[in-house]
Amino acid sequence: MAVEKGHRILMVSDFFYPNFGGVENHIYYLSQCLLKLGHKVVVMTHAYGNRSGVRYMTNGLKVYYVPWRPFLMQNTLPTFYGTLPVMRTILIRERISLVHGHQAFSTLCHEALMHSRTMGYKVVFTDHSLYGFADVGSIHMNKVLQFTLADVSQAICVSHTSKENTVLRSGLPPEKVFVIPNAVDTAMFKPAPERPSSNEIVIVVISRLVYRKGADLLVEVIPEVSRLYPNVRFIVGGDGPKRVRLEEMREKHSLQDRVEMLGAVPHARVRSILISGHIFLNSSLTEAFCIAILEAASCGLLTVSTRVGGVPEVLPDDMIVLAEPDPGDMVQAISKAISLLPTIDPQLMHNRMKKLYSWHDVARRTEIVYDRALRCSNQNLLDRLSRYLSCGALAGKIFCLVMIVDFLLWCLLQLWKPAGDIEEVPEYIPFHQDGEILQSFNADQNSA
Amino acid sequence: MSNIRLASARYIYMHDDVEEACKKVDTHHIVFKRRNFWVFLVYIFVFLLSMKTLDFCLGIDRTAVLWSMLFGARLVYSFYQTRVVKESVVIIPAFGVQLETHFWSGGVVRNFIPVDKILKPVLNEHLTPFTCHWSLALVIHGKEELVLAFKELHLPVKMLAPIWKALCVATGRGESTDRVSSEVQ
Repeated sequence: MAVEKGHRILMVSDFFYPNFGGVENHIYYLSQCLLKLGHKVVVMTHAYGNRSGVRYMTNGLKVYYVPWRPFLMQNTLPTFYGTLPVMRTILIRERISLVHGHQAFSTLCHEALMHSRTMGYKVVFTDHSLYGFADVGSIHMNKVLQFTLADVSQAICVSHTSKENTVLRSGLPPEKVFVIPNAVDTAMFKPAPERPSSNEIVIVVISRLVYRKGADLLVEVIPEVSRLYPNVRFIVGGDGPKRVRLEEMREKHSLQDRVEMLGAVPHARVRSILISGHIFLNSSLTEAFCIAILEAASCGLLTVSTRVGGVPEVLPDDMIVLAEPDPGDMVQAISKAISLLPTIDPQLMHNRMKKLYSWHDVARRTEIVYDRALRCSNQNLLDRLSRYLSCGALAGKIFCLVMIVDFLLWCLLQLWKPAGDIEEVPEYIPFHQDGEILQSFNADQNSA
Repeated sequence: MSNIRLASARYIYMHDDVEEACKKVDTHHIVFKRRNFWVFLVYIFVFLLSMKTLDFCLGIDRTAVLWSMLFGARLVYSFYQTRVVKESVVIIPAFGVQLETHFWSGGVVRNFIPVDKILKPVLNEHLTPFTCHWSLALVIHGKEELVLAFKELHLPVKMLAPIWKALCVATGRGESTDRVSSEVQ
């Protein structure tokens, strides 16, 4: 069977469906493409409401919604060792060969990578965000990342800026870090059959209305653009703490008829909003890689964005107008974009996006990283502890202690419930009969 | 007549086929293997613990030893009284399914489900915060939650598969799941 030839990958993150976002999309689409390439992919995340237990998604993608409740920003409570028993069970029963963790914010990801290394599995980590170096939160996160990446087989970043940032924060050798950009499902984001009317120019903004996404910039940019261009209308999709400021701005400048506030937008509706516009405006203050820009470009919109993080790497120069995160510069960039609009062909832009960004390409490149990770030599506990010791005078000793305890707990689990007592699961082959996915047990199960 | 079909480190699977009033009653038993060594260890541990506690409270004497023995025995008994020794699935064709839980004390809890209420028997992967194991459950009409056939025992799938197959046949779900069950077997 094809599955046996491929890798058996466990994707781990606190962020997955039914939640929507860049990381969630990345894990889902990457998993789907890896399944098509003949690999076995299993996802492990925490429970979302009453969505708990084992679920199956398209093409038999198996998802373990572990019944741990999130406690902050969709993250599970960091317990260090609480996830070890279930992690070990999943790794054995699914015969996993490689663990792939996503997002530095995810506590489940950090714990999973730690336990996987203790058990001798090869691990790959993908960083989806940029971090600072000065504030307390960033300093703490960088130390946690340094601990996790001290013993990682390979790492992936979504942009060169992100790679630079990760290498600086974690002290990981640059040759261990690969750059694989995100992609877009171009089949889902197609331009409108007919171009929107050119009598009025519609500028679309779809993002969470938070400080990091530059909602404060929008408050200053929208009134100025509205004053300069009477035929410009704004559609703002998204919700967040900064929504109040935008509402106040709309009232203050009497722009109720020209600024449409949609509130939270379900992912399924994003395309229908995008195709009603001409220009997509992204005002993020920090961004490792902006998927929203890809979605907008795939729908044939010209993008105006702040020149931050990995954004300049995302699109070719003729598809994006970049500006500094400053209201004046943003207004100038929008003016330039308006003048460029007649030269834009949405269908041509969509076709170019199809060639530039494909999830199959991302999967193939990730496959190469997996191959390299699996070729890495196995190291014993003492060799690994020396890496942790180099993480800092005090932190290094704490990290070593954490890993020693983890190793001892694993040994205890081996005695209490030997690997032989944990049943390996059968392979699931999607076979539709009465709308069911039927099971096909392995030869070893048949012989049993 | 009972005949041992399968055995694992912790469980024994037994299957009865009894002809009663021209009806074939299909009984599947899962017996939990008693571990007398562990019973003894638990008793010793409780005895020593209660000895130490009473020694701390009263000072060691014959009465304390006697009390600790009685206390230890009571604790062990109450622990094993609620301990499941056997769980059974009794399939009565055209009538229904009876789920039984047998305790060490001799008590039995029975739950009868009429056949027309059973929508489907399912082999399910049961995920808890600390482990994942197979479970056999029944989808019941009008009930939001699944009814577990073996609540207390975490059985290997090789023991659950024949019971699931028998339930599929008894509930008239044999055709759509025949291919599956043959592969499970």
